Amino acid sequence: MPEFLEFTIDKFTFRVATDRWYDAAGVWAMPEGKNVRIGVSDFMQQRSGDVAFAEVKPAGTRLEYDDDAVVIETIKVDITLGSPVNGTIVEVNPALETSPEVTNQDPYGEGWLAVVEASDWETDRAHLLDPQAYFEKIKKQAEEETR
Amino acid sequence: MTISGQKVVIVPCSGIGKTYGSVSRQAAYIVVEDLRPEDTQLAALSLLVMGDEASRAMLAENPAITIDGCKLACATKMVQESGGTVAQAFAVLDVYRRYKQFKPQGIAELNEGGEQLAHVLAEEIVGIVDHISIDSDVKDHHKGCENG
Repeated sequence: MPEFLEFTIDKFTFRVATDRWYDAAGVWAMPEGKNVRIGVSDFMQQRSGDVAFAEVKPAGTRLEYDDDAVVIETIKVDITLGSPVNGTIVEVNPALETSPEVTNQDPYGEGWLAVVEASDWETDRAHLLDPQAYFEKIKKQAEEETR
Repeated sequence: MTISGQKVVIVPCSGIGKTYGSVSRQAAYIVVEDLRPEDTQLAALSLLVMGDEASRAMLAENPAITIDGCKLACATKMVQESGGTVAQAFAVLDVYRRYKQFKPQGIAELNEGGEQLAHVLAEEIVGIVDHISIDSDVKDHHKGCENG
């Protein structure tokens, strides 16, 4: 599978990284040993607009699946994102404090939001979409919205 | 106004229906109508897009300060494409990040936060306008001395 799946609608090109899983809202989860790194998809960041502030619950916060974990304020909308996994936040991206725009600039890389020590990744993964399924979902959504 | 008669051109975002665009225009009005009416003039981005000769001439003869509502930076790009000189480019989002307490909302009518953000942005613009005006005056003064 290629590194990214992508499609273009109008002047917008959306990419889906193929090395991670996604929830329906557009939060990605990428396992790293016992931890899971989380962030937002390219589709989500482009639809939401420039990020003004991104606030993640502090390290040490215990999260159940879909508990409020992140609040992102953009020039268009305020979004509260649920955790895609059960576990405890062990690290918050320090770049969000000074350069929240990194979420727009590099959503699959430097724009990550947090690292969660997952308590049961295999169970969590069953809630999530694989890259191909997420790709098909957002492509259909984008096509419907542009009709 | 500088001795040479230059007026800084203020070019805000033309994004209608966008909160940050509204903040940019409100800040521009505050500068041009209230804070520095003698030193500044407003240019409509839409006229620049249409290639309006008077607007292009205004930019050819005067420095510009742009205020962009989003990262597309249409105001800044359009001034540059029109042959103007951008003395300073402002982005509403950058200012908001420094004044998180002034959360802008509303479009046709900004909320209190939006109005306050427009005011602090206008004050920052005035700082640049004054700097440009002083620089121009100093240059004009030197020219005058050289010419006896």
